[in-house]
Amino acid sequence: MDFPSTQFVSSRTMGTYEPIHQIGMWGENFKSISNPNISASVIVDVANKLENESETTSHEMLASTSKHDQEASKPFDKIQRRLAQNREAARKSRLRKKAYVQQLEISRLKLIQLEQELERSRQQGLYVGGGLDTGHLGISGAVNSGIAAFEMGYERWMEEQNKQICELRSALNAQISDIELRILVESGMSHYFELFRMKSSVAKADVFYVMSGKWKTSAERFFSWIGGFRPSELLKVLVPQIDPLTDQQILDVFNLKQSCQQAEDALSQGMEKLRETVSATLASDQMGQGIYVPQVAMAMEKLEALVRFVNQADHLRQQTLQQMSYILTTRQAARGLLALGEYIQRLQALSTLCANHPREPA
Amino acid sequence: MQEAIPYKSHNGGGRSPLHYSLEGADNGGGRRLVTNGSETSVRKLVVENAVIVFGRRGCCMSHVVNRLLLGLGANPAVCEVDEEKEEAVLNELSIINGGGIQFPVVFTGGKLFGGLDRVMSTHITGELVPILKEAGALWL
Repeated sequence: MDFPSTQFVSSRTMGTYEPIHQIGMWGENFKSISNPNISASVIVDVANKLENESETTSHEMLASTSKHDQEASKPFDKIQRRLAQNREAARKSRLRKKAYVQQLEISRLKLIQLEQELERSRQQGLYVGGGLDTGHLGISGAVNSGIAAFEMGYERWMEEQNKQICELRSALNAQISDIELRILVESGMSHYFELFRMKSSVAKADVFYVMSGKWKTSAERFFSWIGGFRPSELLKVLVPQIDPLTDQQILDVFNLKQSCQQAEDALSQGMEKLRETVSATLASDQMGQGIYVPQVAMAMEKLEALVRFVNQADHLRQQTLQQMSYILTTRQAARGLLALGEYIQRLQALSTLCANHPREPA
Repeated sequence: MQEAIPYKSHNGGGRSPLHYSLEGADNGGGRRLVTNGSETSVRKLVVENAVIVFGRRGCCMSHVVNRLLLGLGANPAVCEVDEEKEEAVLNELSIINGGGIQFPVVFTGGKLFGGLDRVMSTHITGELVPILKEAGALWL
């Protein structure tokens, strides 16, 4: 039987011979993290298994003819045990792979920091602080291009957004038909959904970029919750603009507001748990060992959950928008979208004002 | 084969050394259950509980689902799955429901409900509470 030299395949697909080979494969990279005694016993078990294979098959053939009922369970047990051992060995192999990958991540971290130092010393005197965090060379090229693409896309998105707001304003003033208004409302909603897709894409490249809200103005950032606005806050802002509402609508909107609040709370608590987990992982035992330790790689793994949080928050924003469009009439929805658009524009104007406001030295 | 004993509080007991566990880590509430990943154990959990959440141990997304359900007044059973059982349990659940399943996943009234996405969507549209009531997970 051929033993492939580099394969990360579950032993389940390869049969009993696989476990021994996998254990050997990771041996060199393995830094004695798990209990060596357990590994040894698995090897012994499997070795015994292989030795006894030939004996038991002949035993089985003899026994099956005489005591059929009792022996019916025996081969089944052997199979179950073999499967269990395979699973065990596969698990060990996965753990070893994980340890190896973490060592790689640590090396990658070292490399990035060395590159940063190099770049810094090269540009001494010319280096201007306050640039993007993602000033890494080489390795983070993909991240940089993901962010650059997003920023370009967002600029275009904003231009289109402002255009749509103008159209809504004139449409509502001009008293156009509901059908035409519906088209504007639908494209307004789709436009927001487009933004959520863009955010999801760049979050995969750099989730901290999305979380930081760097792509937004400072006043917008002030209201940021998991990479964007809190749906319940926006509802509070918009609903008064959409008066008058029917009693049923008032009830529906109230329920929507409450549901948003509950969903936001659940997500916030999940975020809090994530912070605790990452913090605890980073600080787990052995401080005083420097920074190139497995804890950092382990924490990074946990932090990958942040992407899911950003996606869930945007999903919540999208659902809320969708639900509002069901509750409201076309005209009300148009007014709501206009109010939302203008609210954000005012926030952006506020940011510009704050940035340019002359301040007397104290 | 050992049968899982429901309602027994879990204890990890020295598993994967690479898996970091917090002191007193909570799963966001709910009644904790354990499973050994066997078909009978998983099926039993699904059938015996009005609402049950399967998730990875220490997963923050499971925490979100649990908190949301708790906030609605449901008392979800929570099955935290260890890393090594993860594959087995996922397999079993997929077989029961004929499809790919990811953690966290919610079962109501013995049937598959969905993941976090579905929980959130139905919650916003107001469909979640009636479904929970129908499954017997929620009373007025």
